[in-house]
Amino acid sequence: MTANGRRRARTGGGPLGGEGRWALLFLAPTIIGLAILSAGPILATLAISFTKWDLLRAPQLVGFDNFVALASDDRFLKALRNTAFYTVVSVPLGMVIALLIALALNQTIRGIAWIRTAYFLPVVTSTVAISLVWSWIYSPDSGPLNAVLGFIGLPPQKWITDPFWAMPSIVAMSVWQGLGTTVIIFLAGLQAIPQEYLDAASVDGAGAWARFRNVTLPLLTPSIFFTGILALIDSFQVFDQIYVLARPGRPSDATVTLVYTIYENGFQNFKMGYAAAAAWILFLIVAVLTIVYFRLQNRWVHYQ
Amino acid sequence: MFTDRTGSDGRRGRPTGLARVAGVIGCAALLVSGCGGSTATPLASTPAASAIAPSNAASAQAPSAAPSDAGYTGPAATISYSIWGDPAEIKNQQAVVDAFHTANPKITVKVTVSDWDTYWDKLQTGIAGGDAPDVFAMDGPLFPDYQSRDVLLDLKPFIDRDGYDLGQLADQAVGDFTTPGGQFGLPRDLNVIALYYNKKMFDTASIPYPDDSWDWAKLTEVATKLTLKGGDGKVTQWGFFTETSDMENYWSSLVWQNGGDILAPDHKSTVLGSDQAVGGIQHLQDLIWKDKIMPDAASWPTDSGDAFEQGKAAIEADGSWLVATHQAAGIDLGIAPLPKGPAGQATSINPTGAVVYAKTKNPDASWAFVKYLASPAAQTKLMELRASLPANKEVLAGPYSSSFDGAKVLADALTYAHIKPSFKGYDEFATTLQTELDANVFEANKETVREAIDKVLPALNSILSGQ
Repeated sequence: MTANGRRRARTGGGPLGGEGRWALLFLAPTIIGLAILSAGPILATLAISFTKWDLLRAPQLVGFDNFVALASDDRFLKALRNTAFYTVVSVPLGMVIALLIALALNQTIRGIAWIRTAYFLPVVTSTVAISLVWSWIYSPDSGPLNAVLGFIGLPPQKWITDPFWAMPSIVAMSVWQGLGTTVIIFLAGLQAIPQEYLDAASVDGAGAWARFRNVTLPLLTPSIFFTGILALIDSFQVFDQIYVLARPGRPSDATVTLVYTIYENGFQNFKMGYAAAAAWILFLIVAVLTIVYFRLQNRWVHYQ
Repeated sequence: MFTDRTGSDGRRGRPTGLARVAGVIGCAALLVSGCGGSTATPLASTPAASAIAPSNAASAQAPSAAPSDAGYTGPAATISYSIWGDPAEIKNQQAVVDAFHTANPKITVKVTVSDWDTYWDKLQTGIAGGDAPDVFAMDGPLFPDYQSRDVLLDLKPFIDRDGYDLGQLADQAVGDFTTPGGQFGLPRDLNVIALYYNKKMFDTASIPYPDDSWDWAKLTEVATKLTLKGGDGKVTQWGFFTETSDMENYWSSLVWQNGGDILAPDHKSTVLGSDQAVGGIQHLQDLIWKDKIMPDAASWPTDSGDAFEQGKAAIEADGSWLVATHQAAGIDLGIAPLPKGPAGQATSINPTGAVVYAKTKNPDASWAFVKYLASPAAQTKLMELRASLPANKEVLAGPYSSSFDGAKVLADALTYAHIKPSFKGYDEFATTLQTELDANVFEANKETVREAIDKVLPALNSILSGQ
């Protein structure tokens, strides 16, 4: 369809001759939105990152001071480590679980639509509401999680307030919350796989595992690639969960994340220039990872 | 389950109160009408010289020539008023605003209420964009961070013009918004720390109620008796409870009661490294880990709510903002002064002020409103929330002290209260300090207070000296 459209647009004339212009017109809101609401602030942030700015008075230029100071800022470095841990654990874990659920949901049984909806519900629920419910689940004194542990004879844990369990607890909640999006994309990907391929594989004597390994999985790689990039970018920006779960105490060194330190410096410590510098480091990390990820796609992503 | 988050920690704001106590105390109601006129101050004889201030120049906002003590006489104006707190609170604030509008028909006030965090984010971005509320609430400790950045209007010229008597407001609360030569706000209300006790639990154990003779040892002794354990060794009732995540809730009072202090007088360094200061905080660490009469903050995080309010602790040291919610929770509430320390009695006082945006287009109307907020009429209405103490001395000593059982104890605490430290860089200082204390002293018994404080002292001093 795209090939057709492109050819028609190039040849001009005909009833669909102005398609290219129409496409631009329909894209315009997004392009203008990105240019004004994203590109503008991104560049402004770059400028701010070279200043000392308390947000209330005029900024002063300080060159690379902010970036230099970040390199020896303990809390920032801990946030960097925590965010990396969060990404490394939550992204693969979330995708594997989502894939298993998508495979299970790719059935024609009664009420499947309801079941699918149920998995999507956490996605459309506000993170704040979800975090509040989870902070109850994790409550050391009255939370159901510890009640279950007690029931099977295990000692209660402090979860969010325990330096060891804090990050895993937040990862668990985020994975659960993010499942819906990934599952729905995987489901769409699964349903786009032509039945003939699977039938042909069966005829050739492939068992269930072989069909999954050699037909389903390769044809699902575009979906995996797409959800992977979304999850990666998203996980580097983890904030809401921390903001709600690790408060109203403040996030300890075990739970502080990059975006949280940006918020903390910008809005609590009156260091907007410093926060902007940290935001740019985050931007560069995500940009580099995204480029590498795209470069690697030829090796494992199969488009039909 | 999820207790009121805004009120659960001293610094995160007082005005809360899920329960609204509807009944207006008769004598208070009388005073509204009886004292309403006493805000009128003697006629000002020194109207400011230049009437119209050049726009933009923040410092040039001058009062209009007309004295406004007979009520606001300027042109019709609409001003915005932002506060933090419980959305339910808007009703009470609206009543104050309505009464103000009745007295000054030419001024319309629009109230916005946000939760604590959103409030400051919005305020800072608003100021950065040159569009902040005309009048807004200011937390005592954060005042220097804003005032020093020239975003607040100096009210001194208005005070001088109207001959407004600052002496009618609690002195320490006024002082929090005073700079050498300037007055950048009036206190709206204030909070102190006191001892709450569950009368029923004391009666059951046949223990006399706490009184002003109590000291640290007595608290430990009684709270030990009131800490009850079930057959499985699990605590079923804690003797004591407090919040450790902010100095205001208890530990700053312990530092003062032990003869220590938080900052050096010039605010350029901290004196938390002194033996007295460390000893004060150590007392709290001991209550958790040595005496085991209160739950540690990790086992009882703020999200789990207030153990005292849930009827799971017999005594609590905490802020006066909790009175309404404690009463609403059905606790048979008693209020006593904090137990004395080796250096005597002390508590913490923290005012909330009403300040004016330096670039307001309506300085006169804003001042009229700020002045009204501190007046007996407004203060009597605010006090009905029981979320804080009135800043007006007349209301504090009169209607407030008799408005509920224990109110006088809170009002009297002002005589021995220390102002909560207020300095530039407060938030960063508090975060650095509390992150360390929470992780290694209060939530886990990993370090002594001496070790923890020595570890963060250089960072704290560099924050202070860098301001």
